[in-house]
Amino acid sequence: MNTRFREASGKEKYERMKQRKTNRFVRKTGMMLAVAAATVLFLNSCSKDPLNDMTDEESRIYVTNRDTTVNFASYNTFSIVDSVAVASNGDTAKRALTEYDRQLIAAVKSAMQSRGYTLVDKAAKPDLAINLTRIDETYANTYYNPGYWTGWGGYWDPWYWGYPGYGYYFPTYYTVYYQERAVSIDVLDLKNADADKQINAVWNAMFRGAGVWDSSNINSMVTAVFDQSPYLQQ
Amino acid sequence: MKRIINIRIWILAIAGCLGVQAAFAQVRPPFSFNVNYSIAAPMGSLSDYSGKTSFRGWQAGLQYMLTDQLGIGLKTGFQDFYERVPRAVYPTKSGDISAVQTRTFQVIPALATVQYQFTKPDAPVIPYGSLGIGAANMNYEKYWGMFVDKDNSWAFMLSPEIGVNIPFGKASPLLLNISAQYSYSPYKLAEITNFSTIQGNIGLRWHID
Repeated sequence: MNTRFREASGKEKYERMKQRKTNRFVRKTGMMLAVAAATVLFLNSCSKDPLNDMTDEESRIYVTNRDTTVNFASYNTFSIVDSVAVASNGDTAKRALTEYDRQLIAAVKSAMQSRGYTLVDKAAKPDLAINLTRIDETYANTYYNPGYWTGWGGYWDPWYWGYPGYGYYFPTYYTVYYQERAVSIDVLDLKNADADKQINAVWNAMFRGAGVWDSSNINSMVTAVFDQSPYLQQ
Repeated sequence: MKRIINIRIWILAIAGCLGVQAAFAQVRPPFSFNVNYSIAAPMGSLSDYSGKTSFRGWQAGLQYMLTDQLGIGLKTGFQDFYERVPRAVYPTKSGDISAVQTRTFQVIPALATVQYQFTKPDAPVIPYGSLGIGAANMNYEKYWGMFVDKDNSWAFMLSPEIGVNIPFGKASPLLLNISAQYSYSPYKLAEITNFSTIQGNIGLRWHID
């Protein structure tokens, strides 16, 4: 080694030294960049994912909307549909009466009665009508707008309530973007329908999130939407 | 865990390499970069939105010393704020929404910095003050149950910082950095009327050829 080194010319020694210096610089800088990149990646992975630890109960939201001009004490009687409409992936109207649907109808019925409203047959000209719809847009990526119900052939065509030829009126807040399952409860004003040949939606509740089609959640969901709507009272 | 140990070994290895190099250098090379771990506490309306102190953050920067005591640079970082609020009913324009809210906020600043060091570079402890001015990417994600209200935008940001650099041995190009930083941005979204945080950083600064 020593012999070889002695034999090298001054220029060769200089070149070798320069090469070593460059190598060292490249190696050092490379290592530093690697440490910096690894640190950044490690720390970045620490950001918390809100959906990761979320239970089904925590994932659900209960949304209520109402016509703020309406006095809910002005209605006395109500009637409720005998089955639940299923709006499935943009499919045509379909009605169902599963065990879930039976329990949902019963829960909404008793909640309304506990608020002082009297249940009557739909033939007895009730003041309020209640429509129930299960929405399943887990596959279709579409807008759901109950205002189009009649246009789609009608989930709950106004003739069901004895108002053939009438239209429904749904305020704009009903348009919701879905890629999920949901449940909608619509309370409609039949008492004043003749005034403008239109059935106005006066109250709506939506269950959205995981487990809304699970019958063991019906009671807590119905309780929640009525609890947050104290104005819905005879 | 394995990853942390690996990084430690790397840091030690680099510290070793640089130590040898430093024996030949009389002053530190002017160019340096730093990587810090940071903890930030939200203030004001940001804390009303998401009040928990964030332990998920980092900061990194480059700096060039124009003189022994005055440097200019660039810095960036990341901080993740998160708070889950138990189920509550929130009024809306024409009704109410019952939800468990998960309020998250991520900020990524991109700032130009000016730093003044109060001592000469051969001091055993180098205190400094710096000011960062630039923009920050603000990512607002408020989850209502599993449904999210999102907004991502850029806002002006101002960020003064005071701290100390402690060299590992005299004239070592590797320094321990500890600093406190305040960040302000006139960012407005929903319940947030401005962004302000107080932040602590600890990390390393390397001077390289």
